[in-house]
Amino acid sequence: MILILQQIVNGVMLGAVYVTVALAFNLTIGILNFLNFTIPPLFMVTAMFAWAVAEHGLPFGLTGPLNWALALGVGIVLTILISLVVERLTFRYMKARYGDATEHAIPLVSSLGFLLILENLVRIAYGTEPHRFATPFQDLNIRVGGLIVSLPQLLSLFLALAIVFGLSRMLATTKTGRALRSIAENPDASLLMGVDVSRIVPVVFVLSGLLCGVAGAIFAVNYGQVYSGMGNEIGNKAIAGMVLGGLGSIWGAIAGGVIVGVIEAMSVHLFGGDTVQAIVWGLLLVALIVRPQGLFGHNAIGKGKL
Amino acid sequence: MTLLEISGLEVRYGRNVAVKSVDLTVADRQIVTVLGANGAGKSSLLRAIQGVVPARAGTIRFDGRDITTSDVPSRVRSGLVLVPEGRQIFVSLTVQDNLLMGAYTRHDADVTRDVEAIYTRFPNLAMRRDKLAGVLSGGEQQMLAIGRALLAKPRLMMLDEPSLGLSPLFVQRMFDLIGDLNRDGLAILLVEQNTSMALQIAERATLLELGSVLISGPSAEVGRSEMLTQAYLGAH
Ligand SMILES: Nc1ncnc2c1ncn2[C@@H]1O[C@H](COP(=O)(O)OP(=O)(O)OP(=O)(O)O)[C@@H](O)[C@H]1O
Ligand SMILES: [Mg+2]
Repeated sequence: MILILQQIVNGVMLGAVYVTVALAFNLTIGILNFLNFTIPPLFMVTAMFAWAVAEHGLPFGLTGPLNWALALGVGIVLTILISLVVERLTFRYMKARYGDATEHAIPLVSSLGFLLILENLVRIAYGTEPHRFATPFQDLNIRVGGLIVSLPQLLSLFLALAIVFGLSRMLATTKTGRALRSIAENPDASLLMGVDVSRIVPVVFVLSGLLCGVAGAIFAVNYGQVYSGMGNEIGNKAIAGMVLGGLGSIWGAIAGGVIVGVIEAMSVHLFGGDTVQAIVWGLLLVALIVRPQGLFGHNAIGKGKL
Repeated sequence: MTLLEISGLEVRYGRNVAVKSVDLTVADRQIVTVLGANGAGKSSLLRAIQGVVPARAGTIRFDGRDITTSDVPSRVRSGLVLVPEGRQIFVSLTVQDNLLMGAYTRHDADVTRDVEAIYTRFPNLAMRRDKLAGVLSGGEQQMLAIGRALLAKPRLMMLDEPSLGLSPLFVQRMFDLIGDLNRDGLAILLVEQNTSMALQIAERATLLELGSVLISGPSAEVGRSEMLTQAYLGAH
C-alpha cells in the first residue's frame, strides 16, 4: 500500500513538468488555435543550454562555467527569445503572407520543421546521451509518514502551480488577459476594439516560451540529467495531458498533467517502463471516446478564426 | 464642419470590385444613411472606412486628418468606431468584459465611470454584468454591441444593419437610441435594410448599387427618387 501511495506521490511530482508543458500547448491552441510543435524542443533547449553553459560557460568565451541557477536563467531567456523567433517565422510570416487561405496547415508544418531542426542541432552539438546536471540539493528528501518526498520536486510542484495560478489571474483580470481571451474567440472583433493583434500575439509566445523554460528547468533540477530526446518524451505526454484535461482549459492542463504523471508512475511500478506510452495513450483514447472535449474542455476550441 | 470625408474610394476582394469611386461626407453631429440591396457594398464601405479592409484607391479623411493608410487601432483612438454586421460581441466573455474591451484603446481614469453610465442607459445589461454575453437576447446583444462601441468615446459611430433580426419593438427602440445618441453629439453613419426608418432619422442618404453611388442627397429627396425602388428591385 505504501508503495502505491509512493507511486502516486512520484506521479504527481512528475505531473508538475507535464502540467507546465501542457499549459504552454494550451495557451497557443486556446488563444491562437495553433498547435505549436516547437514547444517540446523549446523545453529541451532550456535544459540542454543550461547544462552547456553550466559546463562550458557562455559561447564565444564570454564567461567561464556558470553556476547552475544562473545557467537555468540563461536557458529560460534563450528559450523565450527562440519562441519569439518562431512566432515571427511560423505564425506571423505565414499569416501575413497567406492570410486565412492556408488555414492552420502551414504554421503547423513550419513549427514541425522547427522541432526537427532544433532537436537535431542540439544532437549535433551535444549528442544523444544524457548529461548530468548537478545541483547542490539533488538528494534532499523529506519523509512524511513513510513516504519519501523529494524536496526539489515538491518545490517544483509549487512553482508550477504558482505559475499556473498567476497565469490564470492574468488572463482573468488584466487588460492584456482580456484582449487575449477576446482574440481567442473572435480576432476580427478584437481588431475593431482597437486591439493590435500583431503586437499581442507575441505575448502568447513569450508566455509559452516562459512555461517551456520553467518546465525545462524543473526537469533538469529534479532529475539531475538532460538529453536531446527529452523534449519528445515529455512533449508527448504533455499533449496527452492537455487533451485529457480539455483543449484550451488551464485547469484542464493541471488535472490532465497530474493524471498522466500518476498513470505513468503506476504503470512503471506495476508493468515496467516499456508499457508507459501504450498505457497512457490507450487510456487517453478510451477517455476521449467517453468525453471528447476532455475533462474541463468546451467545444468551441479549435474553431477560432485567427 | 465635415467630420468624415471620403473621395474616390475603391474596395476590392481579389478581382471582385465591391466599392467603386465612392464619395461621401458626414458632418459633425449628423446622421447619414447608406442604402442599397444585398451585395451593394455597404458593409465593404464601412469596413474600409474603419480600416479593416484596405482602400485600393481614394482617400479617407477623418477630423481633418488623412487616415487612408492608418491602422484600425489608431482610427479607433481618433474617435471612429464600427458596430459590425451581426454584432460580433464576445459570447465567451462577460457583459462587463465586453464593455471593457470597448474601452481597450483608452488609458484614462474615467473608464469605470463610463461603464456605469452604460449600465444606467441599459438596465438590462446592468442586471447581467457578470453573465456571459452569450446568454443575452438578440436585442440585448445589440445594446451591448452599441454600449461597447460607445466606450471608445467615439465622435462618429458606424452601424451596420443594427436592426437586423430584432423584433419590431426592439427596432423602434434601436432607432430611438440612435436619435438619443445623436442628440448627445454623436455623428452616425447608418447602414440599414429598414429603408423607411433610416430615411426618416437620417439627414442625408447615399444609395449604392453594385458598389457605385446611384444617388446621394437629403433623405427626403432620396426617398422620393425612383432610383430607390429600382436599386432594390435590381430593374434596369
Ligand atoms: N470577404 C470577402 N471576400 C470576397 N468577396 C466579398 C467579401 N465580402 C464581400 N464580398 C463581396 O463584395 C460585394 C459587396 O459585399 P458587401 O458585404 O459589402 O455588401 P452589403 O451591401 O453589405 O450586402 P448585405 O446587405 O448582404 O450585407 C459582394 O459582391 C460580396 O460578395
Ligand atoms: Mg452588409
